[in-house]
Amino acid sequence: MGASVLRPDGALKVSGEFAYSSDLWLDGMLWGATLRSPHPSAWIRSIDIGPALAMPGVYAVLTHEDVPGEKFYGLENKDQPVLAIDQVRYQGEPVALVAADHPETARRAADAIVVTYGEREAVTDPRVALERRMLVRHQPVRVGSTFSADVVVTGEYEVGMQDQAFLGPESGLAVPAEDGGVDLYIATQWLHVDQGQVAPCLGLPPEKVRLTLAGVGGAFGAREDLSMQIHASMLALRTGKPVKMVYGREESFFGHVHRHPAWMRYEHGATLDGRLVYVKAEILLDGGAYTSSSPAVVGNAASLGVGPYEVDNVHIDAYGTFTNNPPCGAMRGFGAVQACYAYESQMDRLAAACGLTPVEIRIRNAVSQGSRLATGQVVDTPAPLAEMLRDLDAMPLPESVSRDLRDLPGGVGQTTHGDGVRRGVGYGVGIKNICFSEGFDDYSTARVRVELLGGEPHVLVHTAAAEVGQGLVIIQAQIARTELGIDHVTVAPADTQVGSSGSSSASRQSYVTGGAVKTACEAVRERIEKDGRPLEVILQDGPIEETREYRHRRTFPMDPVTGQGDSHTQLALCVHRAVVDVDVELGLVKVVELAAVQDVGKILNPLALEGQIHGGTAQGLGLALMEEIQVRDGKVLNPSFTDYLIPTILDMPPMQLKILENPDPNAPYGLRGAGEPPTLSSTPAIAAAVRNATGLPLSRVPIRPQDIALA
Amino acid sequence: MREFEYVRAGEVGQAVAMVTADPETSYLAGGTTQLDLMKDGVLAPDRLVDITRLPLGGVTRDGDVLRVGALASMEELAADPTVAERLPFLREALLMGASPQLRNMATIGGNLLQRTRCRYFRDPAVSACNKRRRGTGCAAVQEVARMHAILGASEHCIALHPSDMAVALVALDAVVHLLGAGGSRSVPIREFYLLPGDTPDVENVLRHGELITAVEVPLLPPGARSTYLKVRDRASYEFALTSAAVALRIDGGVIGEARVAMGGVGTVPWRATTTEQMLEGSPPSPEVFAAAAELAITDPYVVPGTAFKVELAKRTVARALRTAATQGGPR
Ligand SMILES: Cc1cc2nc3c(=O)[nH]c(=O)nc-3n(C[C@H](O)[C@H](O)[C@H](O)COP(=O)(O)OP(=O)(O)OC[C@H]3O[C@@H](n4cnc5c(N)ncnc54)[C@H](O)[C@@H]3O)c2cc1C
Ligand code: SF4
Repeated sequence: MGASVLRPDGALKVSGEFAYSSDLWLDGMLWGATLRSPHPSAWIRSIDIGPALAMPGVYAVLTHEDVPGEKFYGLENKDQPVLAIDQVRYQGEPVALVAADHPETARRAADAIVVTYGEREAVTDPRVALERRMLVRHQPVRVGSTFSADVVVTGEYEVGMQDQAFLGPESGLAVPAEDGGVDLYIATQWLHVDQGQVAPCLGLPPEKVRLTLAGVGGAFGAREDLSMQIHASMLALRTGKPVKMVYGREESFFGHVHRHPAWMRYEHGATLDGRLVYVKAEILLDGGAYTSSSPAVVGNAASLGVGPYEVDNVHIDAYGTFTNNPPCGAMRGFGAVQACYAYESQMDRLAAACGLTPVEIRIRNAVSQGSRLATGQVVDTPAPLAEMLRDLDAMPLPESVSRDLRDLPGGVGQTTHGDGVRRGVGYGVGIKNICFSEGFDDYSTARVRVELLGGEPHVLVHTAAAEVGQGLVIIQAQIARTELGIDHVTVAPADTQVGSSGSSSASRQSYVTGGAVKTACEAVRERIEKDGRPLEVILQDGPIEETREYRHRRTFPMDPVTGQGDSHTQLALCVHRAVVDVDVELGLVKVVELAAVQDVGKILNPLALEGQIHGGTAQGLGLALMEEIQVRDGKVLNPSFTDYLIPTILDMPPMQLKILENPDPNAPYGLRGAGEPPTLSSTPAIAAAVRNATGLPLSRVPIRPQDIALA
Repeated sequence: MREFEYVRAGEVGQAVAMVTADPETSYLAGGTTQLDLMKDGVLAPDRLVDITRLPLGGVTRDGDVLRVGALASMEELAADPTVAERLPFLREALLMGASPQLRNMATIGGNLLQRTRCRYFRDPAVSACNKRRRGTGCAAVQEVARMHAILGASEHCIALHPSDMAVALVALDAVVHLLGAGGSRSVPIREFYLLPGDTPDVENVLRHGELITAVEVPLLPPGARSTYLKVRDRASYEFALTSAAVALRIDGGVIGEARVAMGGVGTVPWRATTTEQMLEGSPPSPEVFAAAAELAITDPYVVPGTAFKVELAKRTVARALRTAATQGGPR
């Protein structure tokens, strides 16, 4: 524990040898394809599958009529049809399925299905949806009654729709089983929640739907909802043959939920010396056509909507709307990202209005252990925000404008050799809940077995926790090695043959599955210690196996009227400083350096941790400067990596990191989840730095060249 | 993608004959444009004639002219020592395009003939696209445009020509050599591309079956200063929002010769002749560059999403002129 042990999948991924879910193969398998709605909103008048069925090589063509069990599924609310029934509510909604002996045949057959639509009005403006009260959730936060102050700053902010942009598209293989069930090999974030949604729709008991995790090519929230799981299973059960489905890149943009775009209005009141008196906010998040995880996203936006600051008077309304836009749901940072961009922009305005530095205004209002949040929840574990800001401020600043083209705005486009370049520095602070909140029964299960193999003790760790690239397999092995003192540790493939581990999201797996593995190891150790004989001797009687569930501290729902409640179990902080060079004439930004301070409680694997901070920071950089799914009238305009830009290595600067270890006594080893917080604070830090360089208000991200050059 | 027949051409005459004889047959070079469009369902030829084994590669110098075989790869041309020495901005334009993997596959002939990145053109689910089918309308003009042209555009089509290399070649007055069933001919690159007018499906003077065999590029005079400057939404691996290829010969404090072309703004790679005329005979000062750049964009055809390019393109040209004059010297 605490060492940079290399993960087993790393070298394989770099060398192209890792088997992803899209590489699954069985001889004799069929290929599935999905016909999707071209319209954001329409009645379905008729579906004629005849022409598709008649094509040679086609084994099955299925519509909603063929769904064997329940016709709807969903994470929080079963409102999403497996296949559209009488209407479609977003562009890309699945309408029919095909299985054929070749992927191209399957796609052509899908195109041959004749669907008659009756187009109707699409509601695509969330402000209209709000007026019409088409709400997936409204969560207010109310505390205090003083809403006037000496210094008042207001602002309106917008965040574009970000995509998780994982590289491995949705894919998996469904194999019909002899017992009438199905074995599903799938890239997902949570096997059991998939199982719980797939089985009822197939009309099968859960034990007949067995899932095994296939190689995951990135997740970031996009695999929390189902994509092709039910579809491939339906096709496999109907044809009696294994069916593989792989989305193409364009289809993938329609195959998963995105980050909610946001429209936010904030008002901050403070004393003349910059102490917050009140915060008022209206946060509008568009959830698109179906519920997905929007209620929880809205909850986070509300409960974390003022940021990690002490303020006695808060009036927040967070809304999630239903529209005919693409469904939005989980993405790294989960509801805390959008508000963070807005409240941090506000803190900078307040600093300016009070004549304070960005660092000083944040230190003056920073939470610390013992602070009460707007929800009434008391921060009962270390939260050294002021210290983190001081550490950040003390880090050396990078040299003045560089001569190396790669370090200049426009990069190797040689747009500048230093001409027209202005430097800016900006700060961002973020607070993120770790683990599931608001009363969710959030747990993980681990089975640990010690046995003799070749005369030596070996440990087998078995959980259903999804390795989505975050390095969870190696963390589980490190915990087992540390707890049992046995070198040979194997982490079994994740599947549903063991109890649920919950989702690989909310930065929770090291905490919850780590906790489960630790507890199961402790139970094994206890048996060994009780026995008293040497381990090798005990094991000659047979293996020792223990299974344990681990739960974090209970959380409670937010009051629907006041938002009060201990809704989170753990809170994590991250602070960023961004240094940018901006070519103000051409509108190009070079992020020269990003520095971060994060408190992770306890470092389990420094290398993996730094990777998470770098990656989360880069995703925040993408949101600040380029990433946006452009939607117009409910239609996605840029469903490709040619038109949806993600940062390359040349866009991402080197980082300075300082990692603090103030333990959380409630968590295993005192650790604090680490994957999401950096995604929050890097975006506002970069936006602030660009404002600092240009003097422009820049109230919308992503910031594009024309927003700077031609403002 | 539709099924198609694949033929590897053994010799040049055979390739030309095969493609000329059948309107549904196309050439295949590096395939980085052709196969993409076939996968997207935009192109659906019955047959591809692979020309990559034909003897049309190589880069050779003949006095003050560089002869570039149509099958030379972008990477190969960028690495040529003559290009580095006498056409540095062409090298820059090549290296700022695509990615190393693509540049290793992509050929010079294919680069000249790459198709627009207009997203409506590339999405067969969009029916209004005059370039794909004449007379169907233009979705880009009606809906949202950004990566589109403001010069040479019409209400029938505002698609950009996306090549970076071609911008430098237009500045250099390169000549394209063609071979057809009826013999060979040479076309100055500025006459090679056609404005969309009301026939945006016709992009150049190439007749069906005509093969690009080579491109001849006059070298810049020794001592010329040049630069290629590319403005884009991220630091690498992205098409231009605006770009400029500039070459200047400065004699005794006066600009003797100016070559200026722009990318990211035109339906064809755009030569800024009025800018050049104003520069020639003037001193190379920032004021002169700014004034000359103002002339680079006249009578733009803008839609809301592309209006920003008018100013951005002028600034791009001004910056490129300043850069060429101060940094773009012989290396
Ligand atoms: C992701 C991506 C990013 C890119 N970024 C850039 C960029 O930033 N800048 C840039 O300039 N380009 C860029 N490109 C375009 C790239 O440069 C072109 O795709 C490439 O140059 C085409 O060459 P090719 O040999 O692959 O052509 P092919 O795809 O083989 O052919 C293209 C067309 O030309 C025809 N053809 C090919 N050779 C001949 C010939 N000798 N005679 C007659 N007809 C011929 C073919 O029939 C076909 O119609 C990018 C491409 C991709 C895919
Ligand atoms: S701009 Fe040209 S290519 Fe694009 S949609 Fe219009 S006609 Fe088609």
